[in-house]
Amino acid sequence: MNIQEYIESGKLELFILGELTEREREEVLAMAKKYPEIQQELDALEETIFSFDQKTGAVPSQKVKQKIFDSLEQDFKKEETIKASSSASTPTKVVKMTPWKTFAVAASLVAVFASAAAIYFAGKFYETDQKFTALLQDQQVMADNLNQVKLQYEETDSRLDRLVSGDFRRVEMKGETLPMQKDAKVDVFWDQKAQEVFVAVNNLNTLSDEFDYQLWAIGKDGPVGIGLVNPGEKFTLQQMQAVAEAGAFAITIEPKGGSKAPTLDKLVVLGEVA
Amino acid sequence: MQEEEIIAGLRARDRKTTEYLYEKYSRALYAVISRIISDQDIAEEVFHDAFIKITRKIDFYQESKGRLYTWMANICRNSAIDKLRSKEISQSGKTNTIDDFVYGLESQSGTMEQVEAIGVRELMNQLNEDQRFIIEYIYFKGYTHTEVSEEFDIPLGTVKSRVRAALQVLKKNLDSI
Repeated sequence: MNIQEYIESGKLELFILGELTEREREEVLAMAKKYPEIQQELDALEETIFSFDQKTGAVPSQKVKQKIFDSLEQDFKKEETIKASSSASTPTKVVKMTPWKTFAVAASLVAVFASAAAIYFAGKFYETDQKFTALLQDQQVMADNLNQVKLQYEETDSRLDRLVSGDFRRVEMKGETLPMQKDAKVDVFWDQKAQEVFVAVNNLNTLSDEFDYQLWAIGKDGPVGIGLVNPGEKFTLQQMQAVAEAGAFAITIEPKGGSKAPTLDKLVVLGEVA
Repeated sequence: MQEEEIIAGLRARDRKTTEYLYEKYSRALYAVISRIISDQDIAEEVFHDAFIKITRKIDFYQESKGRLYTWMANICRNSAIDKLRSKEISQSGKTNTIDDFVYGLESQSGTMEQVEAIGVRELMNQLNEDQRFIIEYIYFKGYTHTEVSEEFDIPLGTVKSRVRAALQVLKKNLDSI
C-alpha cells in the first residue's frame, strides 16, 4: 500500500466530512493507527477545516448563546442535584469526610454484614443441631431395639440349646374335652432330670386384665402352681418353675396373679404325661 | 484545556467545561451551519439544537473514532442539511452560494465581520473554478460527494481529488486571513 497515494486519494477529506460508510471509516482508522503519516494528515486536515470554519464564520448572537445555556440549565442542575444529594446522604453533623470516617463507615458496613451472616449461620447451626439431636434419638431407639432383639435372641438361643441338649418330653394339652375353649392348645416341654419346664402356646384366647392363665403340675400331692402363661406369646418357649414329679399338666383361668389352688371349673386345657 | 478534559467535563455535565466548549468552538460550528442555511434565525435555531445535541450525546462520542471537533462539526453539518431538506426551508426556494454567504458577512454591522468577509472572498478567489464549485456544493449547499458526482456527472474519484485539492489550497492560504 502506497501511503502517499492513500493520503492523496481524497478518502481522508471525506472521513473528516463524515461521508464515509462505517466500513470505510474503520479502514481509515486502522490505517491511521498503522501509519503515523496518515494520522498526521488527518490531524492537519481537521486543523485546516477547523480554522476554515473558525475564520469564515460569524459569531453566533448573544441571544442564541443565552438560549442555549437556558436550555442546558436543567442538565447542569440535574447533575448538581445528584452531586448535592449524594453529599447530603452523609450525616449532617459531619463537616469533613476524613479518611478514618470512611473506614469507620466501611467497618460498620462490614460489621452489619458480619452480623447478618452470623445470625444466618446461627440459624443454620440451630437447625442442623436439631436434626442431629433427632438423629441421635433415632439411633438410640434403634440401638435399644437392637439390644432387645439381641436379648430375645440370646434367650431363645439358650432355650433352644437347653431344649436340644436336654432330655425334654413334649406334653400336649388340649381343650377339646373341656367346656372352656375347645380349640385351645398348649404344649409343655418337661425335662424331668433337670426339673425344667417350658410352655409353648399354640392357641389360647386372650383374657381380660383381671385374669391370668396359670399352669399346674399335677402330681401325687395334688396340683402345684408353677407359673403364669402369657397367651400372647405364641410359639415361643415360656420358662416355668421347676417340677420334679408330675403325672399331668393343666392350665386354669385364675384371678390376676394366680391362685394357690386351681379353680377346677375353669380348667382350660389338660395333658397327661405319657 | 485538553480535548480529554473537555470530554470528561462534558460527560460530567460540568457548567464551566460547557462554557469553555462554547467559547472555543461556537464560532466554527455556527459557521458550518450558517454556510448552509442563509437565514440567520433558522441557522441559530439549528445551532441551538445542534449544540444541545452535542452536550447530551457526548456519552456516545468515541475518541477512537475521530477527533472531537470533527464529530461536533458533523453533527452541525447534518443538522443543517436535515433542516435544509425539510419542507420548512425548501419552500423558500433559496439556495446558498459562496457569494450569498460573503454578502451576508459583509452586511453584518461589525467591522470585524466586514474585514473577515473580505478575507473569505480573497480565500475563495485562490480556488480555481472546479475547486470553488466543489467547495460551494459541499460546504455551502450541504451536498455529499456522491450527490455532487451524480448530479453533475463528475466521476467520484474526480470529486474526491478536487475536494482534496481545494482543502490544500485553503490550508496554504488560511494563515493569511
